[in-house]
Amino acid sequence: MERFSQKFKEIFSSQLVSIFGGLIAGTFLAVYTDELLMIPGMLILIPGFLEMRGNISGSLASRITSGLFLGIVSPNKVHTKLVRGNIYASFVLVMIVSFALGILACLFNFITLGIFTPKIIIVPIVAAVMSSLIEIPITITATFYLFRKGHDPNNIIGPLVSSTGDVTSILSLIIAMVIL
Amino acid sequence: MNSLKEHLKILQKVKRHKYHPIIHKIHKKYKISKKTLLYVKEYGPHSNVSRSIIKESLKILLFASLISSFGGLALESAKTVFVSIMPLIILLPALNDMIGDYGIIISSRFSTMLHTGELKGKWHKNKDLRETFLLLLIISFMTAVISAGIALAISFFSGYETAFTSAQKIFFISIIDSLFLVSALFIISIIGGIHFFKKNEDPDNFLIPLTTSIADLGNMIILAGLTLLFF
Repeated sequence: MERFSQKFKEIFSSQLVSIFGGLIAGTFLAVYTDELLMIPGMLILIPGFLEMRGNISGSLASRITSGLFLGIVSPNKVHTKLVRGNIYASFVLVMIVSFALGILACLFNFITLGIFTPKIIIVPIVAAVMSSLIEIPITITATFYLFRKGHDPNNIIGPLVSSTGDVTSILSLIIAMVIL
Repeated sequence: MNSLKEHLKILQKVKRHKYHPIIHKIHKKYKISKKTLLYVKEYGPHSNVSRSIIKESLKILLFASLISSFGGLALESAKTVFVSIMPLIILLPALNDMIGDYGIIISSRFSTMLHTGELKGKWHKNKDLRETFLLLLIISFMTAVISAGIALAISFFSGYETAFTSAQKIFFISIIDSLFLVSALFIISIIGGIHFFKKNEDPDNFLIPLTTSIADLGNMIILAGLTLLFF
């Protein structure tokens, strides 16, 4: 029973963090429904965009954490070849996947509505640049900070980056829609 | 220890695509896992770190993101109704996150059970597995209720009025969606996990992307279906 209770606490608390981020992102979505959700193809773009952000930041944190535990990455030295390579790779991956998602949404609009919407290809790319400028530093800083404080970042960083990722992604998409 | 450092330096000089016998030698002599040695070799001075990461991650990331977007196709078909119900819009990212996280928890726990040999005999009679299933059902029920409650509260304070019957329906949608998908992910993890394990492959590498993608896709299909059914 004690083990059941311990597991319950661990899972439930991490899920609460996840819900919190998701609900903030959802509130932004609801407030900006006209600017975002009413655009044809946006409901195709948004889930993939959120999934991508969480996956890329999660694996970035996980790779850095493995390096920290193995002693290959120094906890006090962020500017190394390995960390820079990880950051660059994450940025390139975000760009490629965003472009693919934009193409998919554009194709959907063309096939179902018969309209060509190049804007829906550009919006996720611009949003990806903005969200990466916020999300990658958050992920790197949090991973190094948690490790230096003696925590295992693997246990905390997942819900943290998926929550912050949701919020920054939705905000970036809204800003991209407004400026383009 | 100096000898270990020397061995690791030799390993870092090994070309990325070559399997060198030194990996086996260090693994046996110093009891360092092959996964650790793989990390040393993959990101050594002879490798292009970013290129290695992009090459290995791109396919699975594209797969996972596109699968999630296909779920969006279902929501597009229910868009008019869906966007008119504010609490459902607020709930969408929260449910996606939550159910995706359950996919990760189920997959990683089941993979660990397979690796550690905890799963002996018939899986459906295993006490730990049944306990985990019950635990996740309880937590998913609670989180579904909490998230629906908060979504309704945010909507109310934003000036969106929800009738009592509509609020009941939103609670019902959130609970059914969570419980159904947690059960489905459990079955998928067990079948997939046993399949990959029997093929001598690490289930972790396949189950997590598979279950998170199915969670997203399933969540949006069920949300769209239930929204059309109830509203």
